[in-house]
Amino acid sequence: MTHVNAVSLTVLIILFAIVTAVGFAAARWRRAEEMLHLNEWGLAGRGFGSVITWFLLGGDLYTAYTFIAVPALVYATGAAGFFALSYTVMVFPIVFVFAPRLWSVARTHNYVTPADFVRGRYGSRGLSLAVAATGILATMPYIALQLVGIQAVLTVLGLSGSSNGFVRDLPLLLAFAILAGYTFLAGLRAPALTAFIKDTLIYVMVIVAILYIPTRLGGWSHIFGTASTHLAKTNPVTGKPFGAFIPVSAGEWAYATLALGSALALFMYPHAVTGVLASRSRNVIRRNMAVLPAYSLVLGLVALLGYMALASPAVVAGVKAAGKNAQLSVPLLFENMFPSWFAGVGYAAIVIGALVPAAIMSIAAANLFTRNIYVEFFKPDADSRHQTRVSQWVSLLVKAGALAFVFWLPKAFSINLQLLGGIWILQTFPAIVVGLYTRWLHRWALVIGWAAAMIYGTVLAYQQPTAGEPGTHFGASTASIIGHTMYIAVAALVINVVVSVVLTAVFNAVRLPAGADETAPGNYVTDAVPSVRRVPVPGAAAAGGAGPAGATGATGAGGAAASET
Amino acid sequence: MSSPPRTARKSPLAVVIAGVLLLAAVIAAFWVPLYARSTPKLGAFPFFYWYQLILVPVVAIVSWLAYLLLRSDSSAVAADQPAPPAAPHAAAPGTEDGPGAAR
Repeated sequence: MTHVNAVSLTVLIILFAIVTAVGFAAARWRRAEEMLHLNEWGLAGRGFGSVITWFLLGGDLYTAYTFIAVPALVYATGAAGFFALSYTVMVFPIVFVFAPRLWSVARTHNYVTPADFVRGRYGSRGLSLAVAATGILATMPYIALQLVGIQAVLTVLGLSGSSNGFVRDLPLLLAFAILAGYTFLAGLRAPALTAFIKDTLIYVMVIVAILYIPTRLGGWSHIFGTASTHLAKTNPVTGKPFGAFIPVSAGEWAYATLALGSALALFMYPHAVTGVLASRSRNVIRRNMAVLPAYSLVLGLVALLGYMALASPAVVAGVKAAGKNAQLSVPLLFENMFPSWFAGVGYAAIVIGALVPAAIMSIAAANLFTRNIYVEFFKPDADSRHQTRVSQWVSLLVKAGALAFVFWLPKAFSINLQLLGGIWILQTFPAIVVGLYTRWLHRWALVIGWAAAMIYGTVLAYQQPTAGEPGTHFGASTASIIGHTMYIAVAALVINVVVSVVLTAVFNAVRLPAGADETAPGNYVTDAVPSVRRVPVPGAAAAGGAGPAGATGATGAGGAAASET
Repeated sequence: MSSPPRTARKSPLAVVIAGVLLLAAVIAAFWVPLYARSTPKLGAFPFFYWYQLILVPVVAIVSWLAYLLLRSDSSAVAADQPAPPAAPHAAAPGTEDGPGAAR
């Protein structure tokens, strides 16, 4: 891996340059009267129809997680890695149920973030702060996973061969600088537009890989056969089998809770909420939940690349030579199976597939900080221009935070970065989703339940060593809990809910003030155009939040509506 | 999906059917013992793998049925002709469910 493949690298650079150019041009797409407005920079005018919403949601939900982390887990442990497919099967029916309610109430009251909703619903700045801080924290390891994915491609390309720390990480830093640049200028418009290119590349790459690679490896029977033989062998490091080809009953709990926990957590992430809120209507959201599973199919097929990698002796040797870094399995598979130019296309799909979501995530986390922490606690009189400036800079800080996660956490299984984020973000589920249906839970009970679950989940995750390396930390996201190995996030959520319910009963009994609720039952089911309503944040509504945003949507949506019907 | 009394545009039956369909889809993926086995095979694919892959289009169809059941007429119009700035509503926050009530 020491020599650089010039053809692959050139193809990658050309495709990357195209995406970058489109990203910068996006600043002019659906041009708003006032770009420096959070509704514009952060939600692109809230006028996205079915087609764009599909690309946008798909763009931020299927990431390096899909192309690097999941196949790596399948490569190393077998069937256990397929929980990700089960998770993406479950997620859309679940989101179908509550996302329209969140959209409606957010549209009515001009909420841009989940924490906005919590503040309005419970009249609690403390709970809103908890939700905002959790969202920012949980997004960082998820962005870190994208960095690890890019790093894997650059390593296989031979760009990261230097032992010098700074030079080794230079390509990574460069890619992120470009990403940061266009995100900074264009806001949500950049990733929404580049998502088209990204998805086209990914679908082409996956279809070719699934049809072509098995013919090079002796067919599916041989691939599955090799995998099942290898997984049954004993791993000298742990003294147990490498994995299981079909989940054994002891692993079923972990499989099911990882899938369910991930599914419940996904749409708690600020970037996923952003994708929902940027859409035009409840029907757009529901329609999308029916067509987004196309991405799940891609995920399932990509997971199988892990087995293909196992069936290729060259890939197995390459992974071993790189210190058993299973993350390299898919890029190495491309290198060994495809002609150089198409391997370059595959690399580009992975790299761009990591960059686009990272942009969306950092924008969403930045919006959270600005609206729910900066304006709320530090500078209540910041105008919309000022707010957008702050968001732009914070989006850079969030990316820097992600870099810290890359350097400090073990990367044996990058999927643990996403699962660690899941442990945290899932703890906002009671406040947000239960809050969409009932105001019964008390705001302080929710705060305490959240805190208990965050501490429990973090401590338990900290205690998990990497397999075969006792004494290490954050090595796994599952733990043995009451006799079953399960996803820590789900156990923490149970604690969260129990504490919240019990304390709500107590607080109601002692008549602790429950706080004001500014939402009305009808707000959760409405399709209506929002009334221009002044929210407590000056500027958010003052610069004409609903009015111009709606108008932008109307002009821009004409084309989108025509293409989708 | 709940259907609060204020917007009576969807029949309770439709809501119940949609709910059952969606719940069944989630359980089909969550209940691992249901599919953690290698037979019957489909071609070279063990049951565990092809079951989950086939579940994807099945769930897509289920979600589409649920969408058709719960689709609201007023927003079907709104989806195609977005956002006429609704002057009547602007003056009166809290009447956002007006279209539903008018029906």
